[in-house]
This record gives sequence, C-alpha cells and structure tokens, in this order.
Amino acid sequence: MATDKELGDFLENVERRAFKQAVYAVRKDEAALDIVQDAMIKLAEKYGDKPAAELPMLFQRILQTTILDYFRREKVRNTWVSLFSGLGRREGSDEDFDILEAYEAEEGTAAAESTMDQAERAQTLQLIEAEIQKLPARQREAFLMRYWQDMDVAETAAAMGCSEGSVKTHCSRATHALADALRAKGIQL
Amino acid sequence: MNTDDINLAYKIRHALNENLDALPASTTERLAAARAIALSRKQQPRKSRRFFDVDFHFSGASLGRLGVAIPLLALVVGLGGLYQYEEQQRIAELAELDAAVLADELPLTAYLDHGFNAYLESQQRQQ
Repeated sequence: MATDKELGDFLENVERRAFKQAVYAVRKDEAALDIVQDAMIKLAEKYGDKPAAELPMLFQRILQTTILDYFRREKVRNTWVSLFSGLGRREGSDEDFDILEAYEAEEGTAAAESTMDQAERAQTLQLIEAEIQKLPARQREAFLMRYWQDMDVAETAAAMGCSEGSVKTHCSRATHALADALRAKGIQL
Repeated sequence: MNTDDINLAYKIRHALNENLDALPASTTERLAAARAIALSRKQQPRKSRRFFDVDFHFSGASLGRLGVAIPLLALVVGLGGLYQYEEQQRIAELAELDAAVLADELPLTAYLDHGFNAYLESQQRQQ
C-alpha cells in the first residue's frame, strides 16, 4: 500500500505533466486545473490504498475519464446554451476571439524582447505543443503516456482500456504524424 | 517503430519537459494546493474487526450500502408485521360479529326480512 509520502511524491512528480496533458485535450487552463485536481482527489480517495507501482496507471486512467466527463458536461451545457441564448453566445465568441488575439500578441512581444535563439526555441516548443494538440485523442494519449509519462506498453494498454497492439499502433501513428507535421514546418529536432 | 521514430519521440519528450519549467507560478501553486487537498482526503487503511473468526471490513462504500439496506429491511419487516396485525384484527372482529349474531335471540332469517329492517330504522329515528 502506498504511504502518504509515496502518494505525495507521485502526485508532485506527475502533476505538471498531467496539467499539460489536460490542456492539450481541453485547451483551457482553468478547466485543465480543475480536471487535474479532480483526478488527484479521486486517486487519493478511491485508490489511496493501492501499491505505489500501480499509481501511474490508475492516475492516467482516472485523468482520461475525468477529461471525457468534462467533454460530456460541455456538450450538455453547449446544447442548453445554444437553445436558450443565441445572442449571448455570439457575444461570448467575440470575447474569446479578442482574448486569443491579445494573448498571441503578448507572446510575440515577449519573444521579440528575448534573444533570437530563445525566441526560436520558444516558438519551436509552441509548435510542438500545437501539433500534439492536433493529434487524434487516442493517439495523443498513447504517445504521452508511453514517451512522456514513462509508462510501458502494458501499463498504457491497461490505462487506455485497449490491447497492447493498439497502443503500439497509436504510438507509431502519432510519431509519424508529428514527424510529418514538424518536417512540413521546417522544424529539425 | 524504428530507431529514428523512437529518437524523435524522445526529442519531443525533451521539448515538452522544457516547457514544463515555464509554467506560470499561479498554475504551479494551484497544482500544489490541489495535491494538498487530495492528500488530505487519502483513503485511510481499512479497520478490520475479528468476529466469529470472520473478517469484517468497514469502508465508506460498504457502510453506505448498509445504510440503504438496513432501513429497507426494517421497512419490509414493518409492513409485513402491520399486514399480519390488521389481518388478525379483521378476523377477530368478524368472529365477534358472528358470535353476537349466533348468540342473539332473533333468528337469522329476521335479518332477511325487509319489514324488520324498516322497523329497526323507524325505532332508531324515534330514539
């Protein structure tokens, strides 16, 4: 059984990557923070008595389920919003668009102030993240679990609820898609 | 996957890790707070109780199930008891009525006589 310290160390080790994983999926920082918090609480409450070795797989499974729940709730909410407030929704989209524009402009300014290398590096990292966001959900999950969370094929398969063969296929497709996309943008890693 | 693919995957991993260090302080603080909340709600070791050489484990879920099952059982037993009691009462009342009718001086056929019924009603009205 995982001790409090083991669980704490595990969560500390995984929390930032989990946050980024959630951001890649839902594309909203606040929602991603809520998702990670929910996943952490569920892990501690329901699986706090499991051995430390099982925690990565369990946490990934919970995280993916929590992300799916978020999309389900969003779908229901959007249905009601589109039914009852067409005008309000249009105003909301405009606000979102403005924020996004402002955000990009700020990023550009910060990069312009840095040295050329730093700017290029930051831009490359952003492009890589953008390409990862564009991957199909299952491919992205498999790729991030295998190569970012250091989980082996069996653990990834258990967390995703699919066969080991499917994990390998998802990983291979994701890597090829990323390689093609980065090559098309002239990025050499 | 060939070696080139694996190399690319690990280079991407390296790039993603670099980005982790650039997370805003507000985000890392919020994550730390979320971790603290999660740890405070960690499941504690189960308490087992030895009873007739059988281990009974009490956890939140099993207590929750018992919390539903016990009132439900009590309700079923209560309804059964109430039905039995009402049934006994009804039988006793009928028996009492039968006994009263049989012990009455009037013959049973008197109750079938319409004239007798009219007489009884007029008597009641006079009272």
